[in-house]
Amino acid sequence: MGLNARTSEKIAFTLLRLATLMVAGFVLVILAYIVYNGYSVISIEFLTEMPRRMMTQGGIYPAIVGTLTLILGSMAVALPMGIMAAIYLNEYAGDTRITWIIEMAINNLAGTPSVVFGLFGLAMFVKYFGFGPSILSASLTLSLLILPVIIRSSQEALITVPKEYRESSLALGISKWQTIRHVVLPAAIPGIITGSILSIGRVAGETAPILLTGAAYYLPRLPDSIYSQFMALPYHLFVLATAGTNIAKTRPLQYGTALVLLMIVLGLNLIAVLIRRHYRQKLKI
Amino acid sequence: MTEAVQNVAQPQIEVENLNLWYGEKQALKDISMHIPKNSVTALIGPSGCGKSTFIRCLNRMNDLIKNCRIEGKISIEGKDIYGTGVDVVDLRKQVGMVFQKPNPFPMSIYDNIAYGPRIHGVTKKGLDGVVEGALRSAAIWDETSDRLKSPALSLSGGQQQRLCIARTLAVKPEIILFDEPCSALDPISTSRIEELIMNLKKDYTIVIVTHNMQQAARISDHTGFFLMGELIEFGQTRQIFQNPKEQSTEDYITGRFG
Repeated sequence: MGLNARTSEKIAFTLLRLATLMVAGFVLVILAYIVYNGYSVISIEFLTEMPRRMMTQGGIYPAIVGTLTLILGSMAVALPMGIMAAIYLNEYAGDTRITWIIEMAINNLAGTPSVVFGLFGLAMFVKYFGFGPSILSASLTLSLLILPVIIRSSQEALITVPKEYRESSLALGISKWQTIRHVVLPAAIPGIITGSILSIGRVAGETAPILLTGAAYYLPRLPDSIYSQFMALPYHLFVLATAGTNIAKTRPLQYGTALVLLMIVLGLNLIAVLIRRHYRQKLKI
Repeated sequence: MTEAVQNVAQPQIEVENLNLWYGEKQALKDISMHIPKNSVTALIGPSGCGKSTFIRCLNRMNDLIKNCRIEGKISIEGKDIYGTGVDVVDLRKQVGMVFQKPNPFPMSIYDNIAYGPRIHGVTKKGLDGVVEGALRSAAIWDETSDRLKSPALSLSGGQQQRLCIARTLAVKPEIILFDEPCSALDPISTSRIEELIMNLKKDYTIVIVTHNMQQAARISDHTGFFLMGELIEFGQTRQIFQNPKEQSTEDYITGRFG
């Protein structure tokens, strides 16, 4: 005898709700765990001073600066490039074999493991272009990593701009490019920002690509140019947790570093959400 | 009066043997039509008969559709608009279009009107005058003059459509195409737009696609009846409605099908 419709409905509903609660639960548990273990080391000193005594004391200031620089650098490259590529693919490229190949390439880029990007960055930017292990090499490598995300979300955003906007602009004798610039792009900005929010988290959190292209094990000073090596939060965390001089002793520092990384990502996401809301409201009534 | 207009005016739009295909499917069959200057020409017919497709040929909006192929000739003031060296952007400045659904941009009332002129190079100083002139011509100045900075989408549907007409006027076209401009509007808004169209005739040549036969009868000087991609009959509105030459025209306007 099979289940009747109401019972199966109930079971399905319960399972679905359970899955959702579990996802939310995991996030909360991770957050709570890190906050609980890390908050005690957070202090002005921790945030603004150099690490000392082989990282067993002092702060994580250079790692914070390094991570923020990487976010800024990779966004500065990937955002304009990704948006331009999305505009080209959506608005100009015909339905040709070459377009298909480009689309396939973007899909594959999105599925490539990040360590492969790291190796590519090492070969291309560090060695071939001679940028050395540096902020520049690492930022460029990370920008390649997030490029497919930005292209895809920009494409999605461009598709959702109503056809009527384009038509009525073109009907006024406005050229296609002017229409894109003044009507289509502004309407697509909230969606494009959503894509970049996702990218910020990835840039801030990736370890393998920067490990191979410029992150320093221990560098208790700020980088002085884009050709300098740098410290970054995820790699610093990795070093403290696996290769530090005294892993047990630096445990609170590890949690503190994780907490700062988390807060930076959440903070930047919040800013992006606010910007998105600002643009959405401008578009609506 | 309609006779006088026809006698004096040179045809402004001349369509000769126009055929149009969407891929394999032929949507317009051998259409020829002369549309005189400063008159209202209504195009009627059942859904899918090709009347919207036809007016979209006049400002080349069909260029945007893939696999759309056109044969024949359309001249505006003697110039072949599908000829080589024709700039589509310039053509669309000359031939404006108002769409079925009111579709203001998500900008302020002022910016909606200023959008076209601004890109076409009207200076900041001149813009205020252009915006006011366009809003006045579209009979919506009184309702909007005190809130030009408010979002256009806060206007009612009928106001939005008049705003769209103003937006078209601001570019100073010679011809305005209306693609069922009232089909999404209530009767009061509709009558305001009809009144407006009749006033605009003084300065513009107007081609309007409509589902509403009373509307065609009320506002147009000439009427064309489309059926299955063919122009069955074209003539003075009075003649088409009172004394149609073709049986199918009569069947349609007396409501036997459609």
